Amino acid sequence: MAGQLIFAALLAATLIVFSLTVRKYVFRFSLTGPHRIRHWRKRIGLMFQVAFGQSRIFRRPVIGFFHALTFWGFCMITLGSIEMVVDGLLGTERSFAGIGFLHRLFTALGDVFAFLVLISISVFLVRRIVLNIRRFQGVEMKRKSHIDALIALVMIFLLMVTLLGFNTSYLLSDPQPAVGTYPVSAILASWMTPGDPGKAGFVMHLSWWSHIILIFIFANLLPYSKHFHVFMSIPNVLLSRLEPLGKAENMTSVMNEVKAMLYPEQSGAAGPPPERFGLLDAGDISWKGYLDALTCTECGRCTDVCPANRTGKLLSPRKLMIDLRARMKEMSEGKMKNGRNFQDGKTYLGDYISAEEIWACTLCNACARECPVNINQPSLILDMRRYLVMEKASAPASLNMMFSNIENNGAPWQYGSHDRLNWVTCLDIPVPVMANLAAQGRKPEYLLWIGCAGAFDDRYQKVARAMIKILHHLGVDYAVLGTEETCNGDPARRAGNEMLFHMQALALIETFRHYDIRKIITLCPHCFNTFLNEYPDLGFSSEVVHYATFLETHVASGKLKSSAGHFKNDTIVFHDPCYLGRANGVYQAPRTLLGTVNSDKTEMERSKSFSFCCGAGGSQYFKEAEKGSTEVFIERTGEVIASGATVIASSCPFCLTMLTDGVKYLNKEGEIRNLDVAEILAMEAGLTSEKPRSSVTGPRLSPG
Amino acid sequence: MKILVCISVVPDTTTHIRFTDKMDALDTSGIQWIINPWDELALTRALEIREQPGSGVTQISVIHVGMKDTEPVIQKTLAVGADSACRINHAPADSLETASQIAEIVRKELFDLVMTGHDSADYNGSAVGEMLAELLGWASFSSISSLSVAGSVITLEREGDIRSETIIAKAPCVVTIQKGIAKDPRIPSLRGIMTARSKPLTVVEPVKCVPLTRFLRFENPAPRSQCRMVDASNVEELVNLLRNEANVL
Repeated sequence: MAGQLIFAALLAATLIVFSLTVRKYVFRFSLTGPHRIRHWRKRIGLMFQVAFGQSRIFRRPVIGFFHALTFWGFCMITLGSIEMVVDGLLGTERSFAGIGFLHRLFTALGDVFAFLVLISISVFLVRRIVLNIRRFQGVEMKRKSHIDALIALVMIFLLMVTLLGFNTSYLLSDPQPAVGTYPVSAILASWMTPGDPGKAGFVMHLSWWSHIILIFIFANLLPYSKHFHVFMSIPNVLLSRLEPLGKAENMTSVMNEVKAMLYPEQSGAAGPPPERFGLLDAGDISWKGYLDALTCTECGRCTDVCPANRTGKLLSPRKLMIDLRARMKEMSEGKMKNGRNFQDGKTYLGDYISAEEIWACTLCNACARECPVNINQPSLILDMRRYLVMEKASAPASLNMMFSNIENNGAPWQYGSHDRLNWVTCLDIPVPVMANLAAQGRKPEYLLWIGCAGAFDDRYQKVARAMIKILHHLGVDYAVLGTEETCNGDPARRAGNEMLFHMQALALIETFRHYDIRKIITLCPHCFNTFLNEYPDLGFSSEVVHYATFLETHVASGKLKSSAGHFKNDTIVFHDPCYLGRANGVYQAPRTLLGTVNSDKTEMERSKSFSFCCGAGGSQYFKEAEKGSTEVFIERTGEVIASGATVIASSCPFCLTMLTDGVKYLNKEGEIRNLDVAEILAMEAGLTSEKPRSSVTGPRLSPG
Repeated sequence: MKILVCISVVPDTTTHIRFTDKMDALDTSGIQWIINPWDELALTRALEIREQPGSGVTQISVIHVGMKDTEPVIQKTLAVGADSACRINHAPADSLETASQIAEIVRKELFDLVMTGHDSADYNGSAVGEMLAELLGWASFSSISSLSVAGSVITLEREGDIRSETIIAKAPCVVTIQKGIAKDPRIPSLRGIMTARSKPLTVVEPVKCVPLTRFLRFENPAPRSQCRMVDASNVEELVNLLRNEANVL
């Protein structure tokens, strides 16, 4: 009875302390913005795959295996812990024994997993203390982070020791009959000389109490440490973003403002504009954004794959999360003390995160792809860029120039729309233009979207021409928009200028509607992503394919043959463009196309979903890179060289330029050629007379 | 100090200039209109000065002589930070007309400093600033590449071919600015655009003025001789063309 009372008092103390913590967090969440959750069925599947299945964790298979053991162990052991709490309150022993076989099963699994978790935690401890792991370092990894990690690991270690100690001493205390099954503890018990059952009983009680007290302490420590993910990861995965990684969240407030500007006669009551566009302080994020921050385990997988961080720039995706937590804590404490309207004069962007960090991001989504608990760091970065541009107009000067160009002449460079068809002049086959066909009463099946690079970049014009030759050869019924094409707004959106994106997009959608466009083939993966994932938010949906996917079907049907043998002495490596691969899951199509070419193939160390950005994404192409130890494109080109390839194949105008720059920078122009997949196919099909030398390009286009 | 920046509205610099069939006027169809880049720099500098602590700048206004269709461009000047705008409802035929209309407003509103761009990117007259100073009887400083303000003292720099000059000027005066005057031009923020809607844009009817210029007709410049591009790897063709077509080898 005394034991029951002590237990009840301990449990009550635990719950009181815990509820105080919960109160703090409820207040913090009340400071955040709304976020809508739908598609529950899909979410539950995702939860089983990512949380219970540990699918993201296994992207690093060795250490992932140990983590998965720990996670599954916790799930099993928790059942036992619940039983222990009931036992403690009721003064019973093994109170769940009534469920028979199931009880034997969960006690057995709990016992085995206690041992496996103990092994895993030992591995983690050795790794933390002995090995020098890159991703455990970084400016954001203060002493507290390391101590946090060690305390949690030691506590779990002790939890498992006490659990096994309890089970073993229970068996040694010679219960008649033993309730439950304990395979590991049975072995441990068999190694020990059976002594006084009374002594064993004492050890059993000692272990039980130690275990239960550790659980109570652990539960109250978790919310204040990085190990909060023990509670948060499953709900965070359940509530995570379901959209493709490439899709930027639409700002309806900005869309309404732009509609009011463009069509003042149509604009109804759109509601008052928001107090702030974008993200400045912790109060501007949604509750889901804060949940992300609380779930972050500081494992550093995001930072470890971040191209900006890998090349010595200030940005660390993990720091975004750690700092958001810290800022929310600071802000909420001030508001709790002095009232909700209290301002402490500090902000998340500015006092914690610098503009330099924000502008270093390539929005390649590698961090979000890697995060084991489905945190989406890029959306935070994009929202801060939106604040800087739409509230403060303080983008880097070269991005401002890009914005002006898009606004004034419909392209990120200073080229007028009347020059958009100049690239066709040296083609010996006609290029059908939408307006001309419409004048004849014809409507082609496809719109071939050339994009600004295809229209204006000397080098990518060649790719556009190769594509025309392929489509002509295949007899595809298509047309281009020609001088009616205009930037679809993607570079502006990625640089935070949501307003300009909507201005471009709404105007372009009118053109699409005018020609009743239903199917679009794009050359550029960024345009592909924008039409596919982002235009539907603005009311325009169409069947959008990147040319690689489009041509894949024609290769399969044998209509596009590779027989010229230009590459028979070459080794081709494919560089996955982020907005084709990681953002939209198109990995195989370009590889299938290249598979038809008579050549050796190889892969880079980081490919497919692990692919490393070329450095141009997130509108980096239109600005100077932030300060770092090297450039992203040099790092990536180094990987090309290491792969032993003689031909880089890509399928994105920006990747092509960046890697061409890299090949030049590393003086490999004589050894490595850089081609687009469309060019390779056109050459192999004998459709193009352009020689397969192409490292030589025109000057790189700058926004000016 | 009250600053007035004169704004010209010109075709976007990538525009292909075309004329009407009779070749007596600019064909304005499809043209995207922008703030004259020089004037945009003048405005940027004015905004920069105001942001400096102790500059004493109390108001930045812009003025434009043109018809209603130029208002979206004027709105942009308000969106980047000008406090008020004035449009004189008239399509000027030459620099004198523009200067005369502006002078009328400056006389009434007592500005201390008037800034204009070096020239406008359409007719490149390079005359409005100087004419305006003359009409007002104010000092005029042209081709200024640096401008700072402390109280009523205005410090100017002008880059010459062989020397650079530093000038201390006293308000009121007219300054015509050259490149280098300001950092990069600003873009309007969405918040700025929304705020601009509530800033005053006054429309003033023009005073009578007879232009000194009449345009008779326009002509396109003769096209440049054709340029042939030869692939960098195709040396053979280059030599062949130089030898047999250009006859220079």
